[in-house]
Amino acid sequence: MERMLPFSSMLAIEARDVEKTFRAGWIRRRHTEALRGVSLAVPRGAIVGVLGPNGAGKTTLLSIFATLLTPDRGSVTILGHDVVRDAPALRRRLNMASGRPSFLWSLRVGEIVAFYGRLYGLYGATLRRRVDELIETFELTSHRRAQYNELSTGLKQRLALAKALVNEPELLFLDEPTLGLDPDVSVRVRAHIASLRRERGMTIVLTTHYMREAEELCDEIAFIKGGRILAHGTADDLKRQIGLGDVIALRVEPRATWLRTAPGVLRCAESDGWVECTVDDAEKRLPDLLRQLLAEGRTVKSVQVREPELEEVFVELAR
Amino acid sequence: MSWRAEAVAVWAFAIRNLLMATRNVFFFFELLFWPIVGVVSIGLMTRFLELRQDATAFVLLGTIALSVVQVCQLEVAYAVLFDVWSKSIKHQFLAPIGLRHLTLGSWIVGMGRGVVIFLILAVLGWWAFGVNVLAPGAGALLAFLAGCFLTAWIIGVAVCALITLFGNRAEAFAWASANFVLLLAGIYYPVSVLPPPVAAVASAIPLTHFLDAYRAHYGFASAFAHPIAIGFALAAAYALLAHLALAAALRHARSSGLLLKMSE
Repeated sequence: MERMLPFSSMLAIEARDVEKTFRAGWIRRRHTEALRGVSLAVPRGAIVGVLGPNGAGKTTLLSIFATLLTPDRGSVTILGHDVVRDAPALRRRLNMASGRPSFLWSLRVGEIVAFYGRLYGLYGATLRRRVDELIETFELTSHRRAQYNELSTGLKQRLALAKALVNEPELLFLDEPTLGLDPDVSVRVRAHIASLRRERGMTIVLTTHYMREAEELCDEIAFIKGGRILAHGTADDLKRQIGLGDVIALRVEPRATWLRTAPGVLRCAESDGWVECTVDDAEKRLPDLLRQLLAEGRTVKSVQVREPELEEVFVELAR
Repeated sequence: MSWRAEAVAVWAFAIRNLLMATRNVFFFFELLFWPIVGVVSIGLMTRFLELRQDATAFVLLGTIALSVVQVCQLEVAYAVLFDVWSKSIKHQFLAPIGLRHLTLGSWIVGMGRGVVIFLILAVLGWWAFGVNVLAPGAGALLAFLAGCFLTAWIIGVAVCALITLFGNRAEAFAWASANFVLLLAGIYYPVSVLPPPVAAVASAIPLTHFLDAYRAHYGFASAFAHPIAIGFALAAAYALLAHLALAAALRHARSSGLLLKMSE
């Protein structure tokens, strides 16, 4: 299940058999098993996505990694520190931004970044420089003196990202970083996340509901459901693991009804003159299909081959 | 953590509380309106009851102590309340700070506000009712104010612990707790008038001793031997307990998930 990427021989996160159960109620105790033995390894310098349906345990897992929540069982080592025992030392080296940010309502943008900067020990000219730099990077200059409760959703999210970088963390957790953002802002935020790894070698763990985002940004994806990691690997690995196959789309005249029973064809669907056949391996099956179609005197007007979308993997795993 | 980083983290909370206070319309009411209403109404009552000047001083000192402790403890409670109200509490506990930074920073602002209120009420008490609350001198005044601020810190940190343990549901403690403690500490009366079991509880409250010591300068016999020393010893013990209670509440909030729930 665990897979290393060639970024670094060291792991940023190593979680083993992590369990977490939430208990609520005084008289009638209710138990919710949020994590049931999660093991995950995140290489240094990688961007890893944690995907899963609502209530799967994504935020719980990220919160344990960020020292905001203590696990009931299992071990978590972050940047060489035990996440419970060495939490104070660890906090200097990580940070987190949420897709639903909240800060003190009447503080101004610059004051919020400066407040958190001070909590990480920054002061004087260094603090001023860092605040200026982050405000400029996240295009908040014209809103610097605006109070938090006057900001739009997009601006709040950009501010959350600015705050999350105030201590130049080695490890950054992003909980749905583009949630509710306009598409153009999402594109810019994604570009910035990619640049953090590229330019600073930052390790990033993010949760998202947007499959395109995960596919575009993440080196590895862990799919979590019901508190368990069901699949872990690159987007291509996941597609292969799920066995969704490749899709061969053909425009053939006249129609060939035998296609759905041809060797290696898992299923076929027709629409707008196209026949879409899902096959186990397009590279292996396409030459045979074309050879037979041509041998029968049929005209193959167009051929397209595509891999399944990550979204299809998500739907399959979430089922 | 270096001493400079320690100071910067404490300063961060002090600046934050100060900025929040200056943009809060209720700041005016907290700082001026209620304390002035308290001193004026109690002062007029002493006139109506035709109390002697020393008895008037006794009661007004209690009223001023009440305002100073209330304002300062509320500011300490804001250390957690601001973040609970704004649902941003997880961010401050994600940072490498200790509880001492959080509470000390807020306490500094609370003491500043407490001193301003004390001075305003002292001038008002002298001008309107002829009571000079500065008469006992600088040393006695410093010990009295230190006692008020230490009591405020203890109550404020205890309130922070309750909020961290129970969430928003415990918010009422922030507003009510100081009144309850001050009722026992004898703000308007000597603790000797309390029923014996309640008087025993009152003698375990640091402010009781500081009020007793300060009132002794106005000719009231002290009910305790070495009230200042006992007051500081009690305050030190309670301060430690309050800090440990807040640390335990935070550990519980990290374990139960309340820290996250309060940020949603």
